[in-house]
Amino acid sequence: MAWSLPRLSRRTFLKTTGYGTAGLGLLSPLPSLVNQALATDEEVKEEVSYSICNFCSSLCNIRVTTHTQGGDKRIVKLDGNPHSTLNRGKICARGQAGLRQTYDSDRIKTPLIRVEGSRRGEYKFRQATWEEAWDYIAKRQAAAGIKPWEWTMVGGWTSCVFYMNWAVPFAMANQVPNIVASPMQHCVTTGHLGTDLVTGNFNIHDEVLPDFDHAKYILLVGNNASIGAVSTCRMVRFAQGRKNGAKIVALDPRCSETAAKADEWIQLRPGTDLAFMLALMRTLMQEGLYDADFLRRHTNMPFLLARDEQGEWRQVTDDQGRPLVVEEDSTRLRTLNKFSNLNHKDVEGNTFSPGLRVPDDFQMEGRPVRTVFQAQLEELEPYTADWAAEITGIPVATIARIAREFGTTRPAIVDPGWHGARFGNVMMLRRVQAMVQALTGGLDAVGGWMNSGELHHKAHQMFQAMDRGYEMGAPLANLAGMAFAKMVIGAVSQGENFSHGHPGWSWAWSAQEKAAGRFNVALPVMTDTGLRESVEGKLQFQGEPYLTRAFIINAANPVRHYYPDSYWKETLSHPNVELVVMVEVLPSDTTPYADVILPNTTYLERNEPTLYGNGVNHDLALTTRYAAIDPLYDTEETADILLKLTGIISGNRDGFLDWVEKLTGLKAAPVRAAHAELQKTQQKGAFAAACRQVSFAQTAARLGTTPEAIDAVLRDKGIYAEEGKDQILAHWGMPRQMPVPTDSGRVEFYSPMLRGLRDAGHSAPNFSVLATWIAPEYHEGQPATAPLAADEFYFSYGKTPTVSHGSTNSNNPVLAGINHFKRDIYQGVWIHPERAAKLLIRDGDAIRLINTRSGQETGGKAHVTRLVQRDTLFIYSAFGVENPALSRTQGEGTATNKLIPYQVEPVVAGFRSQEFTIKVAKA
Amino acid sequence: MDVNTMTYASQDLWTWWLAVYLYTGGLGAATLSVTFLTDMYLKPHRNLVLWGAGAGVVLLSLGSMMLFGHLLHHLAAIHVLNPLVFILKPDAWIAWGTQFIIWMMVWGVLYALPYARETPLLRRLPLVGKVLDWGLVVKISGAVQRFRKFVGWLAVVNGVGVAVYTGLLLQSFPAVALWANPGVPLLFTVSAFSTALAFLLLIMYTVIKDAADEKIRVLYERIDLVLISAELVILFSFFFYLKRGSESAMRSWELLFTDFGWLIGFIGFGLIVPFFLELKGVVKGWTSHVPIITASVLVLMGGYLLRHYFMYAGVYAYPW
Amino acid sequence: MTHYAMVIDLNTCVGCNACMAACALENQSPVWDEHKWRTYVHDKEIGVGSDVHRRFFPRLCNHCDNPPCMSVCPTGATYKKANGIVMVNPDWCMGCGACALACPYHARIPITYGDVAQGREFYGSDYRRSSPSMDKCSFCDHRVEKGLKPACVETCVGSSRQFGNLDDPNDPVTRMVASGVARPLMPHIGTRPNVFYIDDLKWRG
Ligand SMILES: Nc1nc2c(c(=O)[nH]1)N[C@H]1C(S)=C(S)[C@@H](COP(=O)(O)OP(=O)(O)OC[C@H]3O[C@@H](n4cnc5c(=O)[nH]c(N)nc54)[C@H](O)[C@@H]3O)O[C@H]1N2
Ligand SMILES: Nc1nc2c(c(=O)[nH]1)N[C@H]1C(S)=C(S)[C@@H](COP(=O)(O)OP(=O)(O)OC[C@H]3O[C@@H](n4cnc5c(=O)[nH]c(N)nc54)[C@H](O)[C@@H]3O)O[C@H]1N2
Ligand code: SF4
Ligand code: SF4
Ligand code: SF4
Ligand code: SF4
Ligand code: SF4
Ligand SMILES: [Mo]
Repeated sequence: MAWSLPRLSRRTFLKTTGYGTAGLGLLSPLPSLVNQALATDEEVKEEVSYSICNFCSSLCNIRVTTHTQGGDKRIVKLDGNPHSTLNRGKICARGQAGLRQTYDSDRIKTPLIRVEGSRRGEYKFRQATWEEAWDYIAKRQAAAGIKPWEWTMVGGWTSCVFYMNWAVPFAMANQVPNIVASPMQHCVTTGHLGTDLVTGNFNIHDEVLPDFDHAKYILLVGNNASIGAVSTCRMVRFAQGRKNGAKIVALDPRCSETAAKADEWIQLRPGTDLAFMLALMRTLMQEGLYDADFLRRHTNMPFLLARDEQGEWRQVTDDQGRPLVVEEDSTRLRTLNKFSNLNHKDVEGNTFSPGLRVPDDFQMEGRPVRTVFQAQLEELEPYTADWAAEITGIPVATIARIAREFGTTRPAIVDPGWHGARFGNVMMLRRVQAMVQALTGGLDAVGGWMNSGELHHKAHQMFQAMDRGYEMGAPLANLAGMAFAKMVIGAVSQGENFSHGHPGWSWAWSAQEKAAGRFNVALPVMTDTGLRESVEGKLQFQGEPYLTRAFIINAANPVRHYYPDSYWKETLSHPNVELVVMVEVLPSDTTPYADVILPNTTYLERNEPTLYGNGVNHDLALTTRYAAIDPLYDTEETADILLKLTGIISGNRDGFLDWVEKLTGLKAAPVRAAHAELQKTQQKGAFAAACRQVSFAQTAARLGTTPEAIDAVLRDKGIYAEEGKDQILAHWGMPRQMPVPTDSGRVEFYSPMLRGLRDAGHSAPNFSVLATWIAPEYHEGQPATAPLAADEFYFSYGKTPTVSHGSTNSNNPVLAGINHFKRDIYQGVWIHPERAAKLLIRDGDAIRLINTRSGQETGGKAHVTRLVQRDTLFIYSAFGVENPALSRTQGEGTATNKLIPYQVEPVVAGFRSQEFTIKVAKA
Repeated sequence: MDVNTMTYASQDLWTWWLAVYLYTGGLGAATLSVTFLTDMYLKPHRNLVLWGAGAGVVLLSLGSMMLFGHLLHHLAAIHVLNPLVFILKPDAWIAWGTQFIIWMMVWGVLYALPYARETPLLRRLPLVGKVLDWGLVVKISGAVQRFRKFVGWLAVVNGVGVAVYTGLLLQSFPAVALWANPGVPLLFTVSAFSTALAFLLLIMYTVIKDAADEKIRVLYERIDLVLISAELVILFSFFFYLKRGSESAMRSWELLFTDFGWLIGFIGFGLIVPFFLELKGVVKGWTSHVPIITASVLVLMGGYLLRHYFMYAGVYAYPW
Repeated sequence: MTHYAMVIDLNTCVGCNACMAACALENQSPVWDEHKWRTYVHDKEIGVGSDVHRRFFPRLCNHCDNPPCMSVCPTGATYKKANGIVMVNPDWCMGCGACALACPYHARIPITYGDVAQGREFYGSDYRRSSPSMDKCSFCDHRVEKGLKPACVETCVGSSRQFGNLDDPNDPVTRMVASGVARPLMPHIGTRPNVFYIDDLKWRG
């Protein structure tokens, strides 16, 4: 192998020989370089301001350095904010390169209107003024008579995290029941709902930050970008954990950046992690390797269950629905409070110790009764290490050893990864992971999973309100965990919430399919399921067609991010669609399908309309963005855009402000006043500025200080610290000090929420109330262990350290430079040398990839490497941009959306984006 | 660190054009030195000196232009042209080389000046003719005549310096086993003089064609034969030095001794064939000039190939 | 006295390339040329057979105490500061490339006229370079002088890169070097490097 290297270089040498006389061309006239003034230190004014990174949901705190000379103020450097305990003064490559988004020559610099006579998809736009753009939208809306429910909002994670407080009120004020949010189907609901069903959180992204610093054992399951590639706040802690000597084990079909830092990289067949985790859970429970006291006190493990006539597990309760348990080592029944974090006090306030087991012959009303613990253990019985070994391809001894190591080392962390939407079983996998974590007692504990300061704060307020029986108000600001998720589901799934009576089309579609006895999704929260049918006129609601005819897409790129690419291309270019409005900073693969593109200011050019919490930080703190420079182009703020659009769509601008107040607590009256005042002096962003003013004032009032004082601290440090993590844990630790935000307040092994869904007719194993096995279905109707053909592979993908999602920042010149430097690794299709050799594929060869399930076909370049499991292909999911307007990245790599078909699982319509196989051939 | 993490790579920064620089530098300088020495100690020879000085100046200018052309920042070259560079950077061979080249050219032109003034062809040239008659030039020419040997030796010393320098330059790159050894200056110096003799033989057989030069030609042939033998011996030792050397050396060996251009082009046609052609000439004589002319052309070609292959076969062993 | 040095712990370098991006922007590198980085992180597959590892190997100038790049430099553009940092003065450098050939660590990159012209456009009014030259890592001398850490060290999300002063016996970097856990690359060449690496294979045993 080594010998080939000099030979390669010989080629480079001979190539330069070939260029012959080119060398002499370098005798080019000495350019006028020497005379041009160079930037000397004397003339440069350096300033520092603080902001928040905008490239992933890790929300790192950043410090922005600008230089001003000759009247030109430029952002010259971004750094991690050294005052931040979240990212500890560090940021990743994307964060570092972020300033080049603002200076990207390909940016959208003015409003753009699609050229008359062109078709969506052609990317023919003309520059326009804002007046023209608003006018265009108003005319189309009026001419087509678009009804409120015929609008759909599409948002990406940035619109979700930063502008939820405006986007949701916008929807309500305009009576739009349809929101598609791109993180939901990929990671937030699919992946996290599983975890959240157990721990009550909703959205691991910004609620849980494992305390890697202090862990002694870290088991990583299918995660990479969520730690090492990179979520900075996690990676800095992970690195310390490693330096402190934690043992690290990574399960991944390929050696990811994170797996490369593990003591053991364990290769497995994609989609079989659940088998591994079930075997591990079985070992822990059977061999007593769990924190029994924690389970007894804070989880529903001691709750009693019995099977009903259909053989379904149901909780045994008293007549008020309160859970029953038995006292430890006896059969004495005790009744517990419905909602509490403590099991060792019964409803009468007597202290006791609940039992994890009842005797085998224990019965109630003639039916055998078990504890959740026993029922779960029974369910796990078949899932031995041998069983898991066959499914996963991991040696049985390894599975058994790791299970024991994990069970006997404390504190231990199992880290679940975020991007869950790969297999129908991922939600269950995440549930099992959360259960395993709970078995160790490592929730809100040193060296375990730890909730963010912000979640603690919200949950505390929420529980206080529940306790004292007052109405919370401002649910967007104050609801924590599952309560928040349920509020969202409640809002959009029910037509009653809207004057026109229409629920979101995804809910209407599920109902229609259910009525027809076909596959349907139980909780299609902010997903795209049914969108196509609604656009095409195949969805009926109350006997009328429920059409989708207009879109507002803000900071999202569904053509690239959803599967397959044709789904959104065809949907957006359907003749029924009258109007597509996009809010963007750069051309994406979706922008060609817009009618109007409204340019947004980039994150470094804007003051945000509010104060934010400090992301997933264990410490409680406030932060926000300060504009480092004035906007370079004719751009506008999101909040102002939404206000203006409200005026156009429904005219209900006042209602918008009222909804903002109702949902977020930001008072409408002072906002209105400040807006009127600010409009006199500023053309753009006046509404955002008004909201910011009021937000500062209200926060100051809450904290007993002045807005100026908050502003001064934030300008000085970028962070306004409220409370440290030790104090938070001591007062608000969940579940030790305070309930977790589940239905019962306990950590839930048995899921009442899934019980509810089963009762509503969802019977697939995905809805199982206890942890169970769900096989991946690589081929329709065949077992997971069915052998592969000689040219057939499983499929896997993951994020590149240097790109966000499949996003426009692959066009960032600095990141593009790095991506090109590592072209073979980042843009190639990873294939194992043993398999490649049999197909006569060599490194760098052009190959064809064919999805055996859907027939989709695309191409790529082979990257032959032993760093991928023998039977699996891997690609980084960041490449494959089609729009030539992204000049540095277009045409590179293999796009996931050309290979992945439309396949969703039944709980939340999470994608099953790896549940197929791929055939490979030399191109 | 660990062996299996090593990466072996050749460079692509100094390529064919640097080989040209090294080649023309060695060839021009050695040619000038040989002709001046011949002129001073064997037989005054106007034509030879003019050819030697001319070749020295032209070839070195050509080579230097190669280097200059590839500089990233041409204006800054002023810093090496400054004679004080010796004091500033006495450890940098390019500093020495540049000064050798400049002063060799200066002393070379001066040494040739009296001859040039006697050459009708040059006098008839438009501008040159005029310059040769300038008062100052006439005065300098007189002075040179008075200190002929002194000036000659200055030129020769600088010339030899240039020839040796081309090897020392490569020797100063420590990471590459092929280069960083004392065999390189030796090899390059021998090769420079061998090519210079070949060049002069070629000139004497094709341009100067003076029967009275027979003794010189025979001497040149004999010396060249010795130099070629020496070169073969040096290469022989390189063969073993590289073959059983460090990883870098072994990979250079791989590159060189599996390459037909090197084996047949350089060693075969650039050394062995001319060796036998010249050997026969020296031992038995040839009836025609063609074999010696052929040998000379081959040696000249071989001289370039040597440097070309040396540049590309330098292997860096990187520990990653 | 100060004698700057860097220790890179391969055990926590996660191959994120943040250092590359940070360095490029701090030092206005020609990012449009994928081969011109003052620091770069190799992503290597190592090990035999199925015993395979993925190693990330950050690279930069080693600021050698016996720098061959300096001795070969004919213009004096390459020099060593009293604090141990090997610098290139772009005004003096004519870009002959000898230093690049002399460097055993592939640490030098050519900045051409074209790069300078593009740099002016790319970095705008803040562009600090006025002429082409050979370029390389400066240990962020301009930051270090102000008491800051080098840009790559500052942002290293794995805390893999650490910067210190070998003349300070209590500096953690000095201790790691003195103990022998952190070792230089190819010391036999005689360059006396000031960048040291902590091996990641040992860890796995
Ligand atoms: N191919 C591929 N698809 C994926 C993923 C992947 O890795 N690869 N990951 C999946 C996951 S886990 C998620 S969470 C989703 C995330 O999907 P999105 O939330 O859509 O994420 P991004 O790609 O970061 O951003 C989308 C768009 O926002 C634009 N944008 C950036 N900054 C601003 C701004 O300040 N204002 C406005 N208006 N727009 C801005 C970008 O130019 C980009 O076109 O993608 C999912 N889909
Ligand atoms: N660089 C970068 N970092 C990011 C983001 C980004 O866009 N870019 N986005 C952020 C967001 S929104 C998200 S959701 C997270 C995503 O964070 P993660 O979920 O951690 O990241 P991914 O890269 O999607 O996938 C993780 C790993 O799963 C592996 N994998 C694929 N299939 C399987 C399988 O069946 N089993 C197992 N065990 N492993 C499998 C892949 O090889 C990959 O290494 O990243 C966050 N951080
Ligand atoms: S991890 Fe990187 S991209 Fe994500 S917020 Fe932090 S700096 Fe930005
Ligand atoms: S920033 Fe640190 S962890 Fe990331 S690649 Fe560079 S050295 Fe490695
Ligand atoms: S390129 Fe510049 S720094 Fe390097 S040796 Fe030449 S003059 Fe010196
Ligand atoms: S690493 Fe290379 S460039 Fe840096 S000082 Fe050493 S020899 Fe010079
Ligand atoms: S020390 Fe400075 S110049 Fe050197 S690699 Fe790090 S960031 Fe770049
Ligand atoms: Mo995500």
